[in-house]
Amino acid sequence: MSRSAGWQSLLPLVVIAVVAVPLAAQSVTVRTVANALHVQARGFSFIEGPVLTRLKEGRSVRIDFELTVLTKPDGPSTKQAAQGFTLSFDLWEERFAVSRIGSPPRSISHLRPRDAENWCLENLTVPVSSLGFGRDTPFWIRLAYRVHDVAPEVNQAPDERYTLRGLIDRLSRRREEADLAKSVDAGPFRLP
Amino acid sequence: MARRLPWRRDMRTLALLFVLLGLPLVAANAQEADAPEGAVIDAVEISGFSLYSLSPGLQKDINSLVGSPLNREGLNQLASRIEQEQPEVVAAVRGVSRPDGKARVIFLVARISDDTDLTENINARYIVETVDVEGPYNEISQQLRDDLQKLVGRRLDTDEAERLQERLEKELPGRDVARRISKGSQTGRIRVVFEIFEEPWIRFAPTRSKLVYHSQQGWSGVLDIPMSSSRSRHRFTAGVAFNDIDELIEEYSGFRLAFESRVIGTEKLGARLEFSRYNQTWEDATLTALASNPGIPELYRNRLTFEPTATFAFNPRVRINGGISISELESLSNSPNSQMANAWLFGISGDHLWQGSNDVRQRAEASYQIRAAVKGLDSDLVYKRHLGQARYQFEQGRSEAIASLSLGYITGDAPLFERFSLGNSTTLRGWDKYDISPLGGERMFHSSVEYRYSHVAVFFDTGSVWDRNTESKIRYSTGFGIHSDNSFLTVGFPLNSDGADVTFMAGVRF
Repeated sequence: MSRSAGWQSLLPLVVIAVVAVPLAAQSVTVRTVANALHVQARGFSFIEGPVLTRLKEGRSVRIDFELTVLTKPDGPSTKQAAQGFTLSFDLWEERFAVSRIGSPPRSISHLRPRDAENWCLENLTVPVSSLGFGRDTPFWIRLAYRVHDVAPEVNQAPDERYTLRGLIDRLSRRREEADLAKSVDAGPFRLP
Repeated sequence: MARRLPWRRDMRTLALLFVLLGLPLVAANAQEADAPEGAVIDAVEISGFSLYSLSPGLQKDINSLVGSPLNREGLNQLASRIEQEQPEVVAAVRGVSRPDGKARVIFLVARISDDTDLTENINARYIVETVDVEGPYNEISQQLRDDLQKLVGRRLDTDEAERLQERLEKELPGRDVARRISKGSQTGRIRVVFEIFEEPWIRFAPTRSKLVYHSQQGWSGVLDIPMSSSRSRHRFTAGVAFNDIDELIEEYSGFRLAFESRVIGTEKLGARLEFSRYNQTWEDATLTALASNPGIPELYRNRLTFEPTATFAFNPRVRINGGISISELESLSNSPNSQMANAWLFGISGDHLWQGSNDVRQRAEASYQIRAAVKGLDSDLVYKRHLGQARYQFEQGRSEAIASLSLGYITGDAPLFERFSLGNSTTLRGWDKYDISPLGGERMFHSSVEYRYSHVAVFFDTGSVWDRNTESKIRYSTGFGIHSDNSFLTVGFPLNSDGADVTFMAGVRF
């Protein structure tokens, strides 16, 4: 096999890798524990960007999650669960703390970012009995969150407004705003 | 953040104070001093938690403290290991001195979820080392500076820190204030920083929320719910007027929805859209007076208004605004017939704050607005309404003097909601507007001087409201009251009235 033919045979693998890596980076799986449907979303990160900045400044951040079970992609929702969490960053331990809002309260600390994110998802469940369908019925999941009280800075020094730095700041601010809410759809799944 | 039940918070905080970080308090009460470094440990206790919940290795390390010299760094490491093994708790440790010179070590452990301060921010476990203000420190009153420093040396009280932040925002109107925390110079100490940001060039309209009682006019209740964070560029407001007889000559109830943006591409440009629908109730005095004044536009049963406006700021002090106001007034007597009152709006406003030495603050505000309803906007009612207002406020220490002046002038056939009225909880206090001019008037002037010392206020109001073909009668009133930041309780006396009615006013604006 010539050298060029070898590269050509690798091309499909490269294409598959390019397509698959982003998908794998945000893969959603479901599992049931007792009567609760849990969702795991690898790559569904929210402790980053302006949220992380705010936490590292010792401020707390409230994040509201919604987990929606759909019978079709973009179809009507069968069941929806909502749960809010308060996150803070222990400045001396350099670990994250999360508290579930509502009753009964639950809190945990000494978590790394990914563990804190997973803890939030573990505490966001839908009762299986409320879904109203059996194990053979396919369903889809929509997982969404919204961050509260992280407002990008309004003001900018007048002399920075028309500079390259000002432009970069403005563009990055738009990115920050986009980070304040995120949603991911996945499926089809079947009840395990 | 979600509102918390105060009793629950107090109970839990109190419990945790005793159980965990209030250990110095407990020790002080027990007359127990800190054991010196190196003192031999003769007992180890764990409070609020079972030792057997910990791993065997950690249990062994804690038990092996007995008989060893006290080493605070080592104790803190053990407390940290407890937290790592049991992430739902926080742990603190202290060595207290025995009369025989030995040391007793107490690990105090409590669940994070039992303390609402900790659930809101885990850094509430730490002691505040310093409180700093980044921004115009000189513009803050001495009282507030002192109160900020009271946070030092205590556990971070997030509620108190939030209250102080609100007080900063109140003392520095138009400025945005944020709070951040950073590590202090020693382990377990934190630094609280209040950041005061530059004043935005365009500000959101103040909320109209109020609950006001006027002894001659009754209750007025308005609730505005603004939805935005403190530093956001846009705001949505949903408002309900349960009943408002205080503001206009009409008594109205209904709702409004408003969207405001204070930055559109540039901080110099803002916009506002407001939609409102109000139902009107008319006082008997107004109905009677209207019968003898057929030239005044007819009464309406509801008022539907759409008002888009734009604001341009020349600088943070001076702004102009313009737009249109489209109002449909459904006739009271010939429903569903209606009249349109569609007007061009233009206004200019300015304000300035001077912060001098010795806690002297002066603030001046002035504005002028014209509303011109013209046929070109398909308006059935054609009129022009001019309103100029100015206000000056001087504060020094607990003393505060306020002077204000308003001038109004209408030409054409203005509907009743545009006509001027005086004699409510803010103007000609002591008079009843339905005694002065039950239909309002086309001309108006009003001035007021008020002096406040601490929470006690005295005032003197002067004003007149009249129509183009009638004579102006100047009225005076005086009175006194108690004022706090948002609430007031005022007794007003009309001075040149035939009767000697005393008017009592109380309420809260927020």
